[in-house]
Amino acid sequence: MYATLSRFTNLSIKPLAVISIFSLGIGVAHGADEAIKKILIKSAKDAGFTPAADLYQNPDENLANFGKVIFSSNKGLSLNGNISCKTCHLNERGSADGIPNAAAIGGKGESVERLLSGAKQLPRNTLAFWGRGAKEFKTFFWDGKIDYAGVQPKTQFGSKIPSSDPLITAVHLPVVEIREMLDEDAFIANNKVENVENSRKVYRRIAKKLVAVEPDASLGIAKVLGKSVDQLEFLDFARAIAAFIRSEFRLRPTKFEKFVNGGGSLTNEELTGGIIFYGKGACVTCHNGPHFSDFKFYAVPFPQLGFGKNGFGVDYGRYNVSFQPKDLYKFRTPPLYNVEKTAPYGHSGSVATIEEAIYSHFDPLRNIDLAKLSPLDRHELTKRLSANDSSLRVNFLTEQEVKLVASFLKTLSF
Amino acid sequence: MYKSLLNVIVALNIVAAVSCIALAYKVVALPMYAEKTYKAEYKELIFQCDNSMREHMIAKNRVLTEKSEDSVKRLNAAEVGLLSCNSYDKLRKRLLTYGLSESDLALFGIEAIEEKAEDVRNFVKIHEFKY
Repeated sequence: MYATLSRFTNLSIKPLAVISIFSLGIGVAHGADEAIKKILIKSAKDAGFTPAADLYQNPDENLANFGKVIFSSNKGLSLNGNISCKTCHLNERGSADGIPNAAAIGGKGESVERLLSGAKQLPRNTLAFWGRGAKEFKTFFWDGKIDYAGVQPKTQFGSKIPSSDPLITAVHLPVVEIREMLDEDAFIANNKVENVENSRKVYRRIAKKLVAVEPDASLGIAKVLGKSVDQLEFLDFARAIAAFIRSEFRLRPTKFEKFVNGGGSLTNEELTGGIIFYGKGACVTCHNGPHFSDFKFYAVPFPQLGFGKNGFGVDYGRYNVSFQPKDLYKFRTPPLYNVEKTAPYGHSGSVATIEEAIYSHFDPLRNIDLAKLSPLDRHELTKRLSANDSSLRVNFLTEQEVKLVASFLKTLSF
Repeated sequence: MYKSLLNVIVALNIVAAVSCIALAYKVVALPMYAEKTYKAEYKELIFQCDNSMREHMIAKNRVLTEKSEDSVKRLNAAEVGLLSCNSYDKLRKRLLTYGLSESDLALFGIEAIEEKAEDVRNFVKIHEFKY
């Protein structure tokens, strides 16, 4: 039959058939790809995906340049040490510091150098700044200790909240945190009892120091705000820092945004990873909304590294803020923009790669060497596992699927 | 007369020497011995007591937020559990009588709480975090 046809048509049928089947295959594959793309775009939009430009807001934009100076003023921001916001929020480290637990006061240099030079460690991983202060970003810090998501803001300032803007309020915390940007000297020892008057004294002193150390920037801030330099309060400097953070670390269009808007494409790996993210993996059930976070609190049994917020390698997470036993070991869902640049991951920075972070959600024991744990560490791990929210939520993923999700997450970089 | 004066001086010297030895024992040797012998036990007891207090606070909060027969039972158990702090208290007082200061004990406490800070440095070295 094949030979007969060949004779009649004087054509080689075999190559023709191959070409036809191949063309048909491409057509089917193309159609399937288009359908998958549509599903991914619809899933993203349904989950609250919002273009970066629509999220930007900066009411104090004209303070941003002065805020930049204050942001990196080691001598001005730290009352008795040598550290500023910039020490731990480095552009080249994805706006964090690239080490598991923040290396704060008492060290030299930045990142690894600072950690190894004997800086006092903080119990948690430095958070990145991307999108802070943008629209819909209302809950700050790992345990949500600044929480403007509800009707009434919840902060440690009680009824004396410094600002109706959560970022400005958040900027107030690190400068008065002992070990972070403050060392305990006689003045701090006398004023560390938490009450409004004591905290005012400390903030007044920081503002005075900033005026002395950064006279030009202080004058600039005062002019913009229509005040004299003597009238400047810490709140004014906090506004300037917040304006800089908003501007410098604003969200920018990503490969994924271009794809969703129809102006760009994803590789097959990224596309499949996205489908797993929004589908089988169920990552979207928490990583949703404009910032890929629902800003709620979940227990994901990451390994614990360092001494922890509660000491002895224990970190109760959100419980430390709410004192509700149901919040034990819970942390805020991390936003995912630029996630590939912000390693290591988890509240204590205990896993080094995105893939390991994904495993911690559904196969947490994979990242933990049980033989190396002390009896207490094993007990704590057991408690974290029993509080675990993520393993019932995130389905089992193969090694290949985890890699695909990681490749999708990298499309959220800019 | 001269001989009795000499005897007094010798006696005073002996008293001074004994006093110096006693002082050195009390101020230097005893605290050093106490630190060497009891520091590890003290740190362990700090943890035990801290753990009991944390568990007690969680149990108390549980009764406030989710009051039930079970949460009350757990609070009762946590209250008895606070007895762990008795051993810590006793050792703390003994160490104070051995000549260790409040500051020494506070330092042991900080060391105990932050013992795992070294793990972070090791983690960074193991994973070769170099930038």
